Amino acid sequence: MIRNFSSKIINALIIFVIGIQCFIYFLNQKPLTENFSQKTITVENFSSIVLSNSGITKIGSEKLNKIDENHIYLEGNSYLENKEYKIYGKDITIKLNEEISNSNEPVEIINKMGLLKAQGFKNYDNDGKIFFEGEVEFVINK
Amino acid sequence: MSLINKLIFLFLYLFVFSSANAEGYVKAGDSLIWDSENKSYTANGDVEFKNDKFIAFADKMIANYEERNNDEIFTKIELFNNVVIEFEEETFKGNYAIYTRKDNIIKLVGDVSIESPTRLLTGSELIADIDNNKRILNSNNNESLVEVLLENNAND
Repeated sequence: MIRNFSSKIINALIIFVIGIQCFIYFLNQKPLTENFSQKTITVENFSSIVLSNSGITKIGSEKLNKIDENHIYLEGNSYLENKEYKIYGKDITIKLNEEISNSNEPVEIINKMGLLKAQGFKNYDNDGKIFFEGEVEFVINK
Repeated sequence: MSLINKLIFLFLYLFVFSSANAEGYVKAGDSLIWDSENKSYTANGDVEFKNDKFIAFADKMIANYEERNNDEIFTKIELFNNVVIEFEEETFKGNYAIYTRKDNIIKLVGDVSIESPTRLLTGSELIADIDNNKRILNSNNNESLVEVLLENNAND
């Protein structure tokens, strides 16, 4: 009887511990937004990979200006690249926490459909929407 | 091969290459929105769209696309306000148009007209079946339906 009682206690303990672990795992879940920077020779020429909810984005620029924890300013010729597009522009601002990037300078985008040229852009990566401002020309591949 | 021949060959090669790879384009005067989640492009302001079938002009365009064999192709084009579509020798006009790629049909509504070198017809709805070279023009009151069959050699 004592053995049966001990077995029940152990089972209850195991269930309790698993429950606690599940609870801790649940509490530790945070939005996956991390930034790994890999500076090359100088600050003026750098490349970086941004991991976010919308996937992996490679960024690069002639000069990186880190304004604060959530804001990056890519000065000079810059690019953003992920599995859906390659954006080539200059003077691009990135808000890491909101996953928004924008520029008021001429920009070129290459995607699976073709080559798009615009006078500026605002990219809401989380929503999968890119707004191109001004005159836009999108040449479609055959 | 002489230098001139090489240059001519290079020019022709580049011309053919560029023609073969540029199926069409979208131009917008004000803005363009690429919505990759809903697979659409929305163009605003003096929109011009060209594909291998026709050239279209409008104030606004919404183009839906889908992915096939790792390529993206337009499947449906909607044009809004001051719509003008130029197809070979014909010009279609209307307030709204929708083109579906799967059946190659253009449907226009609202003050529709169809103009060709020999005639001008007006109505409220036009259905242009490109593959079958067939045009159906409907009037507002539905009392008179006009169906125009265009012959390729009508001018001969």
